[in-house]
Amino acid sequence: MKNKQVTSKEPFSWMPKEVIAFFKETGELTSFGTRFFREILFPPYEFKEVIRQCYQIGNKSLGLVGVTAFIIGLVLALQSRPTLVDFGAEAWLPKMVGVSIIREIGPVITALICAGKIGSSIGAELGSMRVTEQIDAMEVSGTNPFKYIVVSRIIATTLMIPVLVVIGDAIALYGAFLAVKMKGAVSFTLYFHQVFESLEYSDVMPSFIKSFFFGFAIGLVGCFKGYFSKKGTEGVGKSANSAVVVASLLIFIIDLIAVQVTGFLGLI
Amino acid sequence: MGTRVDNTSVLEAKLQHVIAEPIIEIKHLVKSFGENKVLKDFNLTLHSGENVVVLGKSGCGKSVLIKCIVGLLKYEGGSIEVYGNEVATLSQKQLDELRAKIGFVFQSSALYDSMTVCENLEFALRRHGKKFSKKGKRIGLARSLVLKPQIMLYDEPTTGLDPITAREISNLMLNMQLKYRTSSIIISHDMHCAQMTADKMAVMIDGICYAEGTFDELNKIQDPKVKAFFE
Ligand SMILES: Nc1ncnc2c1ncn2[C@@H]1O[C@H](COP(=O)(O)OP(=O)(O)OP(=O)(O)O)[C@@H](O)[C@H]1O
Ligand SMILES: [Mg+2]
Repeated sequence: MKNKQVTSKEPFSWMPKEVIAFFKETGELTSFGTRFFREILFPPYEFKEVIRQCYQIGNKSLGLVGVTAFIIGLVLALQSRPTLVDFGAEAWLPKMVGVSIIREIGPVITALICAGKIGSSIGAELGSMRVTEQIDAMEVSGTNPFKYIVVSRIIATTLMIPVLVVIGDAIALYGAFLAVKMKGAVSFTLYFHQVFESLEYSDVMPSFIKSFFFGFAIGLVGCFKGYFSKKGTEGVGKSANSAVVVASLLIFIIDLIAVQVTGFLGLI
Repeated sequence: MGTRVDNTSVLEAKLQHVIAEPIIEIKHLVKSFGENKVLKDFNLTLHSGENVVVLGKSGCGKSVLIKCIVGLLKYEGGSIEVYGNEVATLSQKQLDELRAKIGFVFQSSALYDSMTVCENLEFALRRHGKKFSKKGKRIGLARSLVLKPQIMLYDEPTTGLDPITAREISNLMLNMQLKYRTSSIIISHDMHCAQMTADKMAVMIDGICYAEGTFDELNKIQDPKVKAFFE
């Protein structure tokens, strides 16, 4: 009898548990995102908290983003060079490096690093706030915890990831410049002149826009996982971990969609 | 042993309690998490100016009970009336107004650990911005008290404290009652604390209010389930 009740209540009970869990989670994440847009429309606005979060996020990840971007730029230039030399197209190196960094590698690598660094820290922080009842305490003290904690963090990641991407791009281009310079004589101005000459509006804009979405995804997933963290220390660890996994996955999905959209708009 | 602050104030409090009107009335409260039925048919009344101590084993649902009172958790059955208003039917705005009258001391003291002591206290008065010390519980208490609430809900306020500090806290709770006429629900395992502060005690067993009465009344009950708490 008990079984019957369950099947009549849940029409999808024939599906594997994992599939149901996936759809459930997607639904919850969506409604979490919807709530963000609803809450962002109405005051009070927590400007001070947004600024504090922006500073934290930028400050925390700048070093890591810088080092990674530098190495990626350097390695990309070093490894592409032999192939271009084979085709006698060595002069194209700055162009090729520039376009690949700006269009794809810069935003995606920066976003992935931030997903690891910021996503996990947001997940763990909110998770422990949930576990130690800080979120409940805020709610009973008349502060909207969603607004104070979640909205401010999502705004901060959405604004800061593009900034980090721009900085990351610049450092990666500089890394590539050093690699080019190592192998042949090229001046700083000539190199950057070639890079920027090859770049078009349609290279820069889509990738800049998509980094806002990356930032949004990182903040949203981190907050979602932390906000609904399960009790106990294990719960906090799990939310930090799954925040990184889901955010990284979302970054690739957004990237895929972005490429389709830009293609559709004829911007490739 | 068991000396209250002074005997006249006790009498005064007792007298008050006879004529006092109910502040919180919990009737047939039912709350479960999935299959886990936590509260089955819980009844409790808190009168104006009264301290009620709720006893119960770990995990029996004491925290759940007081979270239902402030609307942090939604209950499925029964009713909770605070000042005559059913909590479940309140709008967000009404709920915020009600919460402004209620002080809540969380079990984990729930301090915003990104803030200093002062900031924690200020936050209660709505402001923002680093670390708290091991005196966390006392600060958590202070944070609730700065607002001079009419109702206090204490979730294990003395657990994990040394006996001296625990007695200070118990005295503080008693003073709150006498000075400001706050009505309180105190969740505690600490029998000294209970003896000091309780006008009435309720024993929660299996999701119901198993026994109710003053400290001395409960102390005399021979039922082994109740007796276990007094040993
Ligand atoms: N948010 C929640 N989701 C699911 N189950 C919960 C939740 N909160 C509490 N429970 C369950 O409800 C039961 C009662 O929990 P509660 O925290 O009220 O216990 P307690 O009486 O306060 O115990 P303790 O003395 O350890 O604080 C436990 O079995 C717990 O697992
Ligand atoms: Mg508890």
